[in-house]
Amino acid sequence: MTDALIALVALPLTAALLALLLPRIATALVIFSGLAITASAIALLYGVNTAGALHYELGGWTAGLGIALRADGLSAILLLMIALVMFAASVYASAYFGKASERAQFWPLWLLLWTALNALLLSGDLFNLYVTLELLGLSAVALAALSGKHAAVQAALRYLLVGLLGSMLFLVGVALLYAGYATLDLATLTQVVKPGPIAWSALTLMTFGLLLKTALFPLHFWLPPAHGSAPAPVSAVLSALVVKAAFYLVLRLWLDVFADIVTPTAANLLGVLGAGAVLWGSWQALRAERLKLLAAYSTVAQLGYLFLFFPLLLALPPGPARDVATGGLVMLALTHGFAKAGLFLAIGIVQQRSGHDNIQELGGMVQRLPLTTFAIALAGVALIGLPPSGTFLGKWQLISAAIATGQWLWVAVTAIGSLLAAAYIFRILGHAFGNQPYPHQAVAVAREEWPALLLTLTATLVLGLAGAHVWTLLENGS
Amino acid sequence: MNATMLLIFDALLLASIIGLAWAALASADARRSVILFIAFGLLLAVAWGRLLAPDVALAEAAIGAGLTGALLLAALQWQPRKTADTTNSEQPTHTLLETGFRWLVTLLCAALAGMLAWSLTQIDAGTAKDALANAVAANIDASGVSNPVTAVLLNFRAYDTLLELAVLLTAVLGIFALGPAQAGYRIAGPVFSSLTRWLTPLLILTAGYLLWVGAHAPGGAFQAGATLAAAGVVLRLAGRDQIGLPRGNALRIALGAGVGMFLLVGLALFALGRPFLGYPPAWAGALILLIETAAMLAIAATLVSAFIGGQPTEEKTRC
Amino acid sequence: MLTTQWLYALSGCLLLALGLRSALLHPALLQRILAINVMGSGVFMLLIAIAYRGPGMPPDPIPHALVLTGIVVAVSATALALALARRLTREQPHD
Repeated sequence: MTDALIALVALPLTAALLALLLPRIATALVIFSGLAITASAIALLYGVNTAGALHYELGGWTAGLGIALRADGLSAILLLMIALVMFAASVYASAYFGKASERAQFWPLWLLLWTALNALLLSGDLFNLYVTLELLGLSAVALAALSGKHAAVQAALRYLLVGLLGSMLFLVGVALLYAGYATLDLATLTQVVKPGPIAWSALTLMTFGLLLKTALFPLHFWLPPAHGSAPAPVSAVLSALVVKAAFYLVLRLWLDVFADIVTPTAANLLGVLGAGAVLWGSWQALRAERLKLLAAYSTVAQLGYLFLFFPLLLALPPGPARDVATGGLVMLALTHGFAKAGLFLAIGIVQQRSGHDNIQELGGMVQRLPLTTFAIALAGVALIGLPPSGTFLGKWQLISAAIATGQWLWVAVTAIGSLLAAAYIFRILGHAFGNQPYPHQAVAVAREEWPALLLTLTATLVLGLAGAHVWTLLENGS
Repeated sequence: MNATMLLIFDALLLASIIGLAWAALASADARRSVILFIAFGLLLAVAWGRLLAPDVALAEAAIGAGLTGALLLAALQWQPRKTADTTNSEQPTHTLLETGFRWLVTLLCAALAGMLAWSLTQIDAGTAKDALANAVAANIDASGVSNPVTAVLLNFRAYDTLLELAVLLTAVLGIFALGPAQAGYRIAGPVFSSLTRWLTPLLILTAGYLLWVGAHAPGGAFQAGATLAAAGVVLRLAGRDQIGLPRGNALRIALGAGVGMFLLVGLALFALGRPFLGYPPAWAGALILLIETAAMLAIAATLVSAFIGGQPTEEKTRC
Repeated sequence: MLTTQWLYALSGCLLLALGLRSALLHPALLQRILAINVMGSGVFMLLIAIAYRGPGMPPDPIPHALVLTGIVVAVSATALALALARRLTREQPHD
């Protein structure tokens, strides 16, 4: 089972090299390796479910001298989500990019991004996390700038500089921790770290750097232009996966490594920023003129919900209550990943057919692109949080935990956020389901529509109905 | 040298370093900033040497000051020379709100430095600071090399180096996707041309030497790769068409060679039942040299490609 | 920590703060890129100061390896940033 840990990093990286050297068979390579990576992720999940947390010491050196790969329930579930979303987006991208020269540039960077995501989630070493963060950042920026248009390149440059700032702050934290504890291994650090200036400073710096990368309000300014101008499959993955990777690190640091160091005040601060993200992001999404900007602001808002969990998790005592709430958090993250990816892919179809993604001019889309419209509607259901989507389960947990710990503010924020989400989703659907004749030619490409549809179906139905397994997996895998 | 002299040396060095950084960042003139930054990089290399980090000093001089400097100087060609909003005065005027914001940011940055400094004072003197250093010393005989930094980079933490080479590859692929290479330079005059005739073979030889010696003395793949890249940069600046960079598929092979060799060795060992990148001690030295050679080629190809700004074109435009 | 370590560590913190300030405030893109590099150099100085053990004593090699990796990552990022900036100017001719 530990072979899966190696496979998850080696497969996409090898595929990236082969795609670089053999561009003519690159598409087939991507699809094939995508299947292999998904299989490895399933194997890893199965392994974690049966044997608990797994770890692998690279080079055979004990963790500390060498680097260890680690996987537990949380990372295994997220790795499976990454595999499924990337695979669907890869199928989509094989049809989205019409020219062979475009695909030749796209596939190696795409696979390097996949490598970075997997390597980040599996890494058990602080400095290695920094390197994976940089790999993730550079590949994401390169992909975002791929269209070469002025708006995209400008947004990508800003994304790069903000990302570098974030990584640098993260590295300062790592240096501080090495100075204080002479170790870079996460498991060792978890045992030796003590409350004190080193731990607080390091945690603050690393969190701030990661918040820049996960675009938490008010550090979200770079996200809407970057996600709004990137090619559709790239936007899908940026919103669904890349920002989640940084969030995963915040979660890992706060709940695992620095669990004894974090204070309720600090968690409340994250909660307040999350609330700001929910309200501001939803409001901006409501005012957006373009579908992609709406989706990007919606990402800002949905990430806010994830941060609302922090004050709740810290207020609950460690035990079953906290585990149930953590499961709700994971459920929200998973559902958003699938739903947002599907939404961006569907928007990409609309954009390719009509040359633009203005919401006002969507009239009658359902007549020509029924599957795409249905995918958007399903994504909308998942973003609002209607049953049976996974978001419903997640928000239910959020509200229950808030009521149980007496933190009513978050209930109000969730309610308002969900109402705003309903408003902006119905605004799109109102236009899309209209009776006006759709002015553009719309020949649907199966390779584009089906990934979008399947992703949103997963978010809305599969995750909601199979939700209990998430909690079981998290528990078995710890 | 006694301790006081060293202290005075350190104080002067650090004052110069910080002063250069300040001057480089305060300037509105791009060219001045870049030149000051290159000087800053060179003094940093001296500082690394002072702190007994010769491998890092070599890398900083070659990559941090040298190649980054070359990249920045090449960037000056298409950069606006002065910031747009300076007219006659050196300092642009700000509104009250802007000035307040600038003061706030300055204060926060100072607070950051203060917080870091204070945290450093609170380091618990009891914890074993040398735990990892001792582990390196204990295992170095099994690592295949005697230079501890090379042992860490290519053996104990080889996975980091693998991903770092992937970062280099990602950057150059991103640069390629943005457009073709910049126009070349016009053919150099007699002085520079004859200099390149001496310099290029010397750089190539030095690169080979650095690669070989890295196993037991300061040096290694990164320093060697950067020196090799410097040869390519010098040839490019002299206006040559052939700068040693392969074309087409050969270039892609060169760029991916570092990551490729790492994966090849790692997966081969994995298939043979050993841990991923777990070299058998008898073969470790040879495997490390093999990987470093491939990495050197990849690093050189990547840095030269980054310098010329994109995929090499067939046109012979000059500027 | 030794006096030398302190001297260099504090200078590293200072460089970090200097770089951060310029990265946030400088109007020109090139200097902002330089500022991020200066920030990086500050962190590297901090790491190498931590590794130093005194004259004649072998230093801790792990931070040295980390800094080497960091230098290469920094040059990759700088190269990409400059390429993006160059692409931007191609769209808009300037004087």
